[in-house]
Amino acid sequence: MNRRGFLRAGCACGAALLPAAAQPQAWESPPRFARPDVASDEGGLWAMMDREETRLRRSPFNLRDPQLRSYVQDIACRLGASHCPDIRVHLVRTPYFNASMAPNGMMQVWSGLLLRVDNEAQLAAVLGHEIGHYLARHSVERLRDVKSRSAFGQFLGLFGVVGALGQIGVLAGMFAYSRDHERDADRIGAVLMHRAGYDVSEAAKVWGNLLLETRARPDGTQDSVLFATHPAQEERESTLAELAQTYRGGETSRQAWQQNTARFLREWLGDEVRRGQHEESIALLTRALGRGVYQGEYLYARGEVYRLRAKEGDFEASFADFTAAAALGGEPPQTHRGLGLIHRARKAAPDAKASFQRYLELDPQAPDAAMIKTYIEEPT
Amino acid sequence: MRILIVALVAALAGCTTVAKMESGEQTVGERLVVHLEGAWNHITGPGIGPAHTWTMEGLPIDQLRIYVGVKDGETVHQPGSSGKLKNFSFRANMQAEDVVAMFEGVLTRDGSVFKLVKLEPMSFAGQKGFRFEFSVIRKVDSVQLSGVGYGTVVKGELYAMLYAAPQLGFFARHQRSVDQMARSAKLKM
Repeated sequence: MNRRGFLRAGCACGAALLPAAAQPQAWESPPRFARPDVASDEGGLWAMMDREETRLRRSPFNLRDPQLRSYVQDIACRLGASHCPDIRVHLVRTPYFNASMAPNGMMQVWSGLLLRVDNEAQLAAVLGHEIGHYLARHSVERLRDVKSRSAFGQFLGLFGVVGALGQIGVLAGMFAYSRDHERDADRIGAVLMHRAGYDVSEAAKVWGNLLLETRARPDGTQDSVLFATHPAQEERESTLAELAQTYRGGETSRQAWQQNTARFLREWLGDEVRRGQHEESIALLTRALGRGVYQGEYLYARGEVYRLRAKEGDFEASFADFTAAAALGGEPPQTHRGLGLIHRARKAAPDAKASFQRYLELDPQAPDAAMIKTYIEEPT
Repeated sequence: MRILIVALVAALAGCTTVAKMESGEQTVGERLVVHLEGAWNHITGPGIGPAHTWTMEGLPIDQLRIYVGVKDGETVHQPGSSGKLKNFSFRANMQAEDVVAMFEGVLTRDGSVFKLVKLEPMSFAGQKGFRFEFSVIRKVDSVQLSGVGYGTVVKGELYAMLYAAPQLGFFARHQRSVDQMARSAKLKM
């Protein structure tokens, strides 16, 4: 599920989840799926996904950290229950909000999604939705809808197939499941979350957080069709609140999430900054600061986004974030490089020199050390 | 008739044309002069630019982008097909780190992964400039690329060269030639 897909799904919740709310335990999981005949259309799709999975296993984008992978696999297993042996999670280093599940059980979770969720329950909301598509075999129905080769290419985007087609997150959602499928997946996902002991109300928060980012875009109007053709926000919020009332209880597992992902935060934040989607990144990082942990990391990242955007007032905002990060301690060394560059741009040579020296003290092997040394040696 | 054949070939090739850049002194964009030790291919056509784009092995393999006099506010890449991705533009007040970050953004626009290996001072085009080395894992095919870049900002305009090729074989094959070309660069005033 990419960003657009999740928004679409979130919007569809209004109509979709009320029946589930009336009968929270009515849905029953199907038995495990047997491998289809290779001569059938579904068998062909499985074979294609098997090849993609082999390629994905070898891909340098595959996050091979066994501990993190096992942790996310366990979340998927809690949700998938009896289907656990058929679900294989692959973590992919790509800074976009995306998760997908292919009919052969290959599940892709992109690092941009991992950066965006606040806790385990929020990730479970997205994974549960994808497992919902899998259990309801929506992809097979969509496969049979596909008439043209170009549409088939887009159809593969549903499963995060990026290599063969060169698609990335923002494009992969061009071909979406139908609204009915999304409603089904939402309903099933909510049931799976509840049965796995997760707080279902977190699903609405993921959706709300994505809206914050989308609305921050300077060209936010590009999603106007989405917003124009779906229920009003008040209605959606009311429906999701009603759903949370029906599926009461459950855990968010916030602390476990933070502990298991902390080691990757700096890398994921670096990828986010490099995306160059400054307004979305600022919205994301401002929200992430509300998590109350790893403040120095988020402050540095937001400061760097402001510095790179360099609009009026951005240097001041950047300077404030870098300074706050440094005051907290444990900040990334690049915080001081950022401060030094701002001082240098302001012709404040002594301050620039002090910041650059601090940067090299913290990271003497920095790749730009030779360049920074010339700044330190510049006449004051 | 000859023109017709050329036009037909160009049309069949999607209007992409290849011109041979011979060894010796070559002027790029009328303002940057470089000395070539061997011939390069200069590619022009839709979807290519705004940098002058050269290659030794063919564009899917290696690519040398030469930027000549990029002005404040000018975008340094072709717009993407989705229209949702942010454009990366040069600003006249950019420092070396900012120029590198701009190229980093350009090279990772498709979800590729960039790693800066080295950034150091270097005279480029007779001016105080910089040189950087980097690696990229290309999203479309997971190929690992190595790259080298050179740049300087003169009177608020950017002059730069950016070369990238697969780490295995190709980069090492042409790195010396690119380095030599960068060291020979001078501005034509």
